[in-house]
Amino acid sequence: MSAVAAQPVSAPAPQPVLTVCPVPRTRRGWRLFGFFSFSVLLTGLVSMLFADLLWRTGWSTSRTLLLVLFAVLFFLAAVGFMTALYGFVLRHTRDRRRITCMANYRDRSIAATSTALVFPIYNENVLRVYEGLRATYESLRQTGELERFDFFILSDSTSPDHWVEEERRWFELIRELKALGRIYYRRRVFNEGKKSGNVRDFLNNWGRRYRYFMVLDADSVMRGETVVNLVKLMEANPGAGMIQTVPALVNAESLFGRMQQFANRLYAPLFLTGLNYWAQNCGNYWGHNAIIRTEPFMQCCDLPQLPGRKPFGGHILSHDFVEAALLLRENWQVWFAHDLDGSYEESPQALIESAQRDRRWCQGNLQHSLLAFAKGFRGVSRIHLLLGIFCYLSGPLWLLFLLTFQWIRWYQGYTGLSDITVRAWTPYLDLTGTQHALLIFVLCMIVLLLPKTLALLDLAFDAPRRRAFGGWWRTAAGALAETVFSTLHAPLLMLWHSQFVSAILLGVGVHWGTQQRRADGTAWAYAFKRHWGHTVIGLVWGALVWRLDAAMFWWFSPVLGGMVLSIPLSVWSSRSSLGALARRFGLFLTPEETSPPPELVCLRERLAHTSPATGQQQVFTDVGLAEVVLDPYVNAVHVTLLREKKLNLTYAKSLARLGVGRKEVRELGEKLLTVGPNALTAEQKLLVLNDGDAISWLHRAVWLRPDSSLAVWWQEAMHRFGCQQPV
Amino acid sequence: MSAFMGWTEAPGQIAGRPLEEWNTAYAKVEGYFHALRVRNKVLLGQLVQRVLGRAMKRAPAEPERSATELAAEELDRILTEWFAEVLETAPTGVEHLLSTRGRLALLLADMPGKWQDQFLRPGPWPEEFVTAMRESYLHAGPDFQLSQMTPRPLDLGPITALVNFSRLPFRKMSFIWVAFALVLIGIFVLTHLHY
Repeated sequence: MSAVAAQPVSAPAPQPVLTVCPVPRTRRGWRLFGFFSFSVLLTGLVSMLFADLLWRTGWSTSRTLLLVLFAVLFFLAAVGFMTALYGFVLRHTRDRRRITCMANYRDRSIAATSTALVFPIYNENVLRVYEGLRATYESLRQTGELERFDFFILSDSTSPDHWVEEERRWFELIRELKALGRIYYRRRVFNEGKKSGNVRDFLNNWGRRYRYFMVLDADSVMRGETVVNLVKLMEANPGAGMIQTVPALVNAESLFGRMQQFANRLYAPLFLTGLNYWAQNCGNYWGHNAIIRTEPFMQCCDLPQLPGRKPFGGHILSHDFVEAALLLRENWQVWFAHDLDGSYEESPQALIESAQRDRRWCQGNLQHSLLAFAKGFRGVSRIHLLLGIFCYLSGPLWLLFLLTFQWIRWYQGYTGLSDITVRAWTPYLDLTGTQHALLIFVLCMIVLLLPKTLALLDLAFDAPRRRAFGGWWRTAAGALAETVFSTLHAPLLMLWHSQFVSAILLGVGVHWGTQQRRADGTAWAYAFKRHWGHTVIGLVWGALVWRLDAAMFWWFSPVLGGMVLSIPLSVWSSRSSLGALARRFGLFLTPEETSPPPELVCLRERLAHTSPATGQQQVFTDVGLAEVVLDPYVNAVHVTLLREKKLNLTYAKSLARLGVGRKEVRELGEKLLTVGPNALTAEQKLLVLNDGDAISWLHRAVWLRPDSSLAVWWQEAMHRFGCQQPV
Repeated sequence: MSAFMGWTEAPGQIAGRPLEEWNTAYAKVEGYFHALRVRNKVLLGQLVQRVLGRAMKRAPAEPERSATELAAEELDRILTEWFAEVLETAPTGVEHLLSTRGRLALLLADMPGKWQDQFLRPGPWPEEFVTAMRESYLHAGPDFQLSQMTPRPLDLGPITALVNFSRLPFRKMSFIWVAFALVLIGIFVLTHLHY
């Protein structure tokens, strides 16, 4: 009798029949039309003013290009401005067109529901992931509704060390929480389709057991009450296919991370309220911290392969926007639950890490250009897709705008043409050329900065929230400092995004790497390696501008300053000590810092107690391999999980495809014993680890054989893990 | 120790093997029990002694085998026999299956925490211990309910034409020529517009 619960293996069942029906499409045209019309109107008026300024010094083709770029960039800024403005007004007029106000959901019973909380992971910090899961689990237990939920750790990890640690810590977790049969662990043999493929694999195997599922990121934490409320909201709104929460950024320690989470907590409520105004039941999906109705998702949201070759063709990288669009296409509703607290995530702690994340997202978003005009998609979905694309295109467009402007100035000087202005609308405006330019500059600044001012004004009217941010004056000081920082950060983003977009258009793919999210800080040498180009561009550009027009140099100084100072900016902003110093001064405080919610307190305390102290990190190579072969319990858990995997036809086929069960695996095992893990490639180690019989045999062999017939590495491993006393 | 002393037939030897060899075997057996988290020193000593005692009995008949090999084999045998007895499973010949199940059962029954004194002890064992060992199953996932998601057709609209363009023969060359022509046009316009 096996230690694995025997399970029936069956062929894929036919598509489940939908037990709920989507609501027919409703007309929400006026909201959308009004919102974007105001943005267009504002853009049109300011662009006309800009065109007039250009006209005064004589029209040219380069000025046409400059005007077009200005209009596009200003429109994007105007959309942001309008979103914040609408958000501000709606927050003070109590807009009730929110999912949380649509139906009385709080009294709903969730007794008949089943929900899976899935954590797709890929070579992540195992301890952090599991402690986040534990915090959510404990919080959910306190609601008394835990039995309606199952947790799944869906691993795609390719590193043997991560894999073995995931299994070991999973077992420890379920034992400590007494959650055997409640928290599950599954690792795929091949990580086809990456994260979306991982979730799809879960749905294909277990999706039909659950009415809803929630995807959580590796750094997500959710309050139990929020999770229960999301299920109640789904029950109360049978037409809703998905409800996306707005995760609050938390747990930042570095200066950069704290500024990011401060900005997120201060400005997001306005922007999200505005976004919800025009999106309504045609919202979007951000890939995690959202609840999804399983059946429609399984029927509508399997992602097609895009035609053509990489970087645009093939597998869809940023799957979340597309999945929301596919649900909307089939008339399911997608809502933002922007007023539901208790949803958290973490953000990169340094400029470079943030850029690394952008590099991945950039390719995924640009890929959406193939989908933006797909037939059947809702207009709002196209807007979401296009706004996502322009998130990254705005960088190169801004760079092009600045270069075109420089070209015009240089050309003016080179040809000796005078700056004498001609008459345009000036008689009506009664402005000199300088005043005219200044007026446009001020308008641009208003559009860019008013949202931040509105957020501060909003805070002034909300006493509890004001206290949660540490007081209005401190918040204002924080917002000012954050604005200065983001002004210097913006040109770096411009250069990075230009580089990313160019690389992607030239066909250079993106590596699906792991994000480094610790607040250790960036080393000077690493910062130099990443930023020297920015510094050189800033210096050369600055010198050219100075030579061209010294007065103009000062107007460009914020842009050039960000580039020239990129190295110290990157290093200092990554420092946790500076983050702590800012906190002592009461800067960048967030509600989760001034009054931490229990689930985050639980997470921090656990991490503080269980994280290995600095300097005690494992330096021994192939720790996972050593553990799984030497440790009788880790070995038993690993082998049992592999045996269970064989009960599933799909997994069994994958294991066979990998080569599990062939005699070569035993030969590799023999090599592992006699020569050590260095004799095997990474793929060979994974192959051995995937073969339950081989791992079982290795465990016996390593303990049965005399040390003299084992590689020295094994003897060291035995000493290291305390399995053998020194002779 | 008396069990050891019984096989001493020459100075510096036990059961025909040098003391150092038995010392190495002792370390290996003790290491495995350590790995099984048997932390109680009295129990640990008794268990190692039991294993080595059986190995020493075999040693004179198998002079070509090292003491460590014999001890390790005896350890494996004792464990397998005990697992078979506790779990009421007859040894199948595929010993690693039983060994894996036994170790997992030890872990799930929390032998290292609650039942160290019962480990490798002959029966009868406390009912609670036996139940914990026999009913220990590891559920890595609930029962499968297989289905197969399939993508619905998606018409990319006008983009399809552009995607198909990239499949045209000589596309790279055509693209370079078009780009070159655009550069020429751009240079011409920029340099002639003001004249």
